[in-house]
Amino acid sequence: MAYTYSKIASYTVGSGGVSNVDLLAIPQNYTDLVLKMSIRFDQAYEQANIDIRFNYDFGSNYSVRRLRGTGSAANSDSVSGTSITIGYGAGDTLTANTFGNAELYIPNYTGSNYKSVNGDAVTENNATAAWAVLQAGLWSNTAAINSISIICGGKWKQYSTFTLYGVKAEV
Amino acid sequence: MAAGATYTPLATTTLTSASATVTFSSISSAYTDLVLIYNGKFASANGQIALNFNGDTATNYSDNSLNADGSAVTAARDTTYGRIVQGYTASANVDNMTIINIMNYANTNMSKTVISRHNTAAGANVQLSSGAWRSTAAINSIAVSCYNGINFTAGSTFTLYGILAA
Amino acid sequence: MSVISLKYKSKSGNLTAPGDVDPGAFIPIATTTLTTSTATISFTGIPQNYEHLQIRGILRSDRAGQPKDQLRMQLNSDTGSNYTTHLLSGDGTAAYAAANVGATFINNNSVTGATSTASMYGTVVMDILDYANTNKYTVVRFLSGYDTSGAGTVELDSGVWLNTAAVTSISIVTIGNMIQYSQLALYGIKRAGA
Repeated sequence: MAYTYSKIASYTVGSGGVSNVDLLAIPQNYTDLVLKMSIRFDQAYEQANIDIRFNYDFGSNYSVRRLRGTGSAANSDSVSGTSITIGYGAGDTLTANTFGNAELYIPNYTGSNYKSVNGDAVTENNATAAWAVLQAGLWSNTAAINSISIICGGKWKQYSTFTLYGVKAEV
Repeated sequence: MAAGATYTPLATTTLTSASATVTFSSISSAYTDLVLIYNGKFASANGQIALNFNGDTATNYSDNSLNADGSAVTAARDTTYGRIVQGYTASANVDNMTIINIMNYANTNMSKTVISRHNTAAGANVQLSSGAWRSTAAINSIAVSCYNGINFTAGSTFTLYGILAA
Repeated sequence: MSVISLKYKSKSGNLTAPGDVDPGAFIPIATTTLTTSTATISFTGIPQNYEHLQIRGILRSDRAGQPKDQLRMQLNSDTGSNYTTHLLSGDGTAAYAAANVGATFINNNSVTGATSTASMYGTVVMDILDYANTNKYTVVRFLSGYDTSGAGTVELDSGVWLNTAAVTSISIVTIGNMIQYSQLALYGIKRAGA
C-alpha cells in the first residue's frame, strides 16, 4: 500500500516579519502540491490580497476569479495580472492574535499544461466584517513549478506559518 | 514509511486521447472517504463534470451549488437528476480542475454525499457544490463524465485517493 | 524577503529526492461513530505533535420539525462568549453571508435534521491550522454541505476561538442530538521535519 501526502517544508516567520516568503527548489517527484497558511500581515487594513507567484514569473501570466463573503454580503470579482490573488490575509486592524486560514491546492504542478490553482481562504475578526474567499486561479505557463512566492503588500507578521505538502498519485 | 499514515492513491488515469468518460471500478470498501482530483480541459464549450455511481443512471441524484463568474454570485440546484453535476466551464480547451470529496462512500446506512470545489479561472467560474446519490449501497464504481456528451481532452488527469479514519 | 530553499529544509539536509522523504503526513488520530443518539462528540487529549488538524464528518440530528440543524464547536471546554463565526453559503436559490459575533460556540449549518430526507447526512471538512501554537487564536475553516433534491446548502465558513491556548479538546454538539451513524474523524497533519 502506497501512502502519499508528504510534508516537504514549513516556515514560521520570526521577529520583525518578512515581506514575502519564497519556497525554492520544490521537489519534482510529487503529483500535486498543498500549501497551508496561517497568516497575518502588518498593514493597517482588515484584509489585503495574498499574492502568489510561481518560478519568479513577473509577467502578466496570472488570472483569478473569486467568490467572496464579507460577513454580510457575497460578491465576485476577477483579476488578471502579475500574480494570482488567492484570497485575503488577516490585516493588523483585525482582532489581535487572529491569523487567516488559507489553503492552496495545485494539481499536476510538474505537468506541461497551464497550472490551475484552487484557493480557499478565510480571515477572522471579533466583529461582523471578515472575509471568506473561494478562488479559481490560473498560471498561464507550461513550466513545471519549482518555486512559490507568497507576497503581501507589507510584511507577514511573526508567527505566520507556511507549510508545503506533496501529494503523489503513485498507485 | 510513517506508521499509521493514510491518504492512499487508489487509481490514476491520464487520457492519451479525448474521452467522454473515465470510470473507476472495483473500488475497495476499506476506506472512509474518497477524494477525486480532476485536472484537465473540456473539448467543447459548456462543459460540466458529471458523476454516476455504481452504474446508476436513474434519477437518483441531486445537487446544489454556489457559483461566481467574476461579476455575479448565484446559487443553483438540480433535483431528481440522472447524475451529480459539479462545475461549469464556458469555453472549450480551457484548463479547469475539481476536487471532489465523497464522504463515507462505503457506509450502507446512509445515502452518499459529495462536496466539491471546481475552478476555471479563465472565462468561467469558481464553484462550491454539494451533491447526493440517494442510495445506501457502498460505492464501488465512479463514472466521471462530461455533461452534454462533451469529451475530456487528451492530457486530462483523474486520480482517486482513499482516506482511512482511525 | 525570506527565502527558503527546500534544499535545506528536509530532514537529511539534502535535496528531497524520491524515496528520501517520510511519505506519510496525514495521520488518523481518532474516530467517533455513533451507535445511538448522542448530544456531544468530543475529542480529548489531542496530541500536540502535529502542525494542523482536520476533522472530516457526516452528521444528522433528531432536531424535531426541522430539515437541518446547526453544528456547534467549543474548544478546551470553554463555554464562554469567546467565539465568532462568519458564514458564506448558498441554498440552491441565493447566496448569503453572515456573522455570529461573541457567541459561546463556532457554528456551521450543514447538519440534516429530523424532517430531512431519510438516510441523508450533512458533510463537513474542518481545517484547524496551527492548533498547538500559543501565539495565536485558533481559526477554523469549514467546507460543508448537503443536498436533498430541492433543499440543501453549501458553505465556506470560518470561526475563531479568542484564546491563545493550544487546542487539547474539541466538542461538537447540535441543537438536537446527533443520531446513529453520525461520524467525526480527527486527523493530524505533520509538520515538516517531524
